[in-house]
Amino acid sequence: MPLSDLALAPLQEWMQAVVTHPSDVYEAAESVELAVDDVILPSQTLQPIQRIGIYHGMYMLRMIEALTVDYAAVAQFLGEHAFEHLVREYVQQFPSRSYTFNRLGDSLPEYIASSTWKRKTFLSDLAKLELAMTQVFEEEEAEALPADAIASIAPEEVADARIIPIPALRLLALDYDANEAFQAFRDETPMKPRRQKSWLAVHRRDYSVYRMPLTREAYVFLECLAARQTIGSAIETFQARFRRFPEQAELFTWFRDWSAAGLFTAIEVG
Amino acid sequence: MNRFNFPDLGIGVGLRTVHYGHILGSQPDVDWFEALSENYMDTGGRPRYVLEKIAEQYPIVLHGVSLSIGGTDPLDFDYLCKLKSLARTVNARWISDHLCWTGVSGRNVHDLLPMPYNAESLRHTAERVRVVSDYLETPLVVENPSSYVEFATSTMTEWDFLASLAEESDCGLLLDVNNIYVSSFNHSFDPNVYVDAIPADRVVQVHLAGHQNHGTHIIDTHNDFVIEEVWKLYGRACARTGDVSTLLEWDADIPDFPTVHAEAKKAEAFREAEVAYAAV
Repeated sequence: MPLSDLALAPLQEWMQAVVTHPSDVYEAAESVELAVDDVILPSQTLQPIQRIGIYHGMYMLRMIEALTVDYAAVAQFLGEHAFEHLVREYVQQFPSRSYTFNRLGDSLPEYIASSTWKRKTFLSDLAKLELAMTQVFEEEEAEALPADAIASIAPEEVADARIIPIPALRLLALDYDANEAFQAFRDETPMKPRRQKSWLAVHRRDYSVYRMPLTREAYVFLECLAARQTIGSAIETFQARFRRFPEQAELFTWFRDWSAAGLFTAIEVG
Repeated sequence: MNRFNFPDLGIGVGLRTVHYGHILGSQPDVDWFEALSENYMDTGGRPRYVLEKIAEQYPIVLHGVSLSIGGTDPLDFDYLCKLKSLARTVNARWISDHLCWTGVSGRNVHDLLPMPYNAESLRHTAERVRVVSDYLETPLVVENPSSYVEFATSTMTEWDFLASLAEESDCGLLLDVNNIYVSSFNHSFDPNVYVDAIPADRVVQVHLAGHQNHGTHIIDTHNDFVIEEVWKLYGRACARTGDVSTLLEWDADIPDFPTVHAEAKKAEAFREAEVAYAAV
C-alpha cells in the first residue's frame, strides 16, 4: 500500500496493534502487515522501532501500575515478576474498554478462577475481596438509617418490610479466608492462604471502606435483604436453608450490628 | 484576554489525591485547581466528595485524557454526558482534553497517542471538536501533546495543524510549554517557532511540568521541577498571550503540597516580567 493511501483509521489500528502487543516491540512489529520503517520516521537519535517502542513499553507499565493499585494484595502475594505475567495475560483477554481505569480490573477474579495459575482459588478469592473494596469505594453515597429505625417498624408491618441496603455494600462468600490474608497484607506480615469457607460484608461509611466478617447464617439472611426480599421472605429462605428459623436474639444482634455499621439506607413497608 | 472571554484564573495546581487532606485541612492560597475529569465522572465516593468540597472554594477546570478527539471510533456520548454533568456540578470554568487518540475498535490504550498531521486528520478532528463543543455548550479547549514518533504521512507541522484546527473548529487552546519542549527535543525543531506560531488569542490556559531526559529522547513524566528552558518558553508564550491561566502538573513522585505550590508560583515572576516586557 502506498503510504499516501494509509488513512487515519488503518493507521490507528496498526499503531494500536503494535503498542498493545504482548511480546516485545520487535515481535510486535513482525505481527503487523506494514513495516514500522514505512509508517514511522526516524529521529536524529532513535530508529522508528525504538520510537514506537516507547509507546509499547509504556502501555504495559500503565496496565501493571493500574492493576497494582486495585489488586495490591494479589500483586504482593504473587511477587513483581509473576504479577506482571498475570497482567500481560489478563489484558490480552480483557483489554480496557472504558474511558476510566476503574473498570480495567473488573474481570480479574473470574480470569484467575478460570486460569491454570497455582493457588488460583485463593488468588481469585483475594481478588474478589479487593475488587469489592474498589467497587464500594466508588459507589454512590447514601445516608444511613438511624440505628433505631428498624426497631421502630410496627410489629404488624415487620414481615412485609424491606430493608434497603446502601449502594456501597458487597457480600462475599469465599472458599478461603481472604479477609485474614488481606489483613496480613495490611499489617505487612506474610499472607498465609488458609482454606476455610468465609463470609464477608464489604461496606463504606463516611467515605471509609470496612470489612465485616459474617457467619454463614448472617450472610444468608443479609443476602436476602440485599436482594430486596421482605423480612418475612428472608426468614422463609433462612428456614429453608438451615431447617430452622432465625432466633430472635440472632435477628436482634444482626440488625443492631448492621444498623450501627450503616448498612441500610431505607425501609419500605407494604 | 482570549477571544472566548475565559478569565485569567491566575496560577493553579493540578488536583491530586495525595494532596486532598492538605487542601481540605489548610485551604491553601491557590488561585484554582485543575481536576482530571475521568477521576471524578464515575464515582460517588470520596474523590467526588472532595472535588465538590474544593469546588465550593476554588475555581475548577476539568481536564480530560480519554475524549480521544482524534480517534476514528465514534464519539462516546455516554462519556460526554457524564462530563457535561460533572462540569455543571463543579461549575467548571472550561473543559480541556488533548489533541490525540486513545484507542480504536472499542479499546482504550490509556495513552495520549499522536496524530498524523495532514489534511485528512485535520478535517476529521475539526469536525469532532465542533460536535463536542456543541454538545458541551462551551468551546472545547485542546492541548498540544508531547510525542515520541512522527508519521511518514504527516504533511504539516504540529503547530500549523493546531493553529488550523483551532481556526476550523473554533476551539480554545491549552498550550503546554513543557510538551512543546519535549516534542522539540524528540523531533528536532525549534520550540520558539512553535510558540510564535500559535494564535495567541485562542490560548485559554498554559501547562507547565517537569520531564525526564534520557539523552536520546525526553519522556513527559510530570515527575520533577520545571526546567529553565521550559520557563523561558513560558515567558515567551506569556509575552504573546498576556496574562493567562497557568497550571503546574505533577503526577509522579509527587512532593508535598507546599513544594508543588511553590513551584507553580514561580510562574508569577515570569508572567509579570514578560507581560511588562511585551507592553513596552
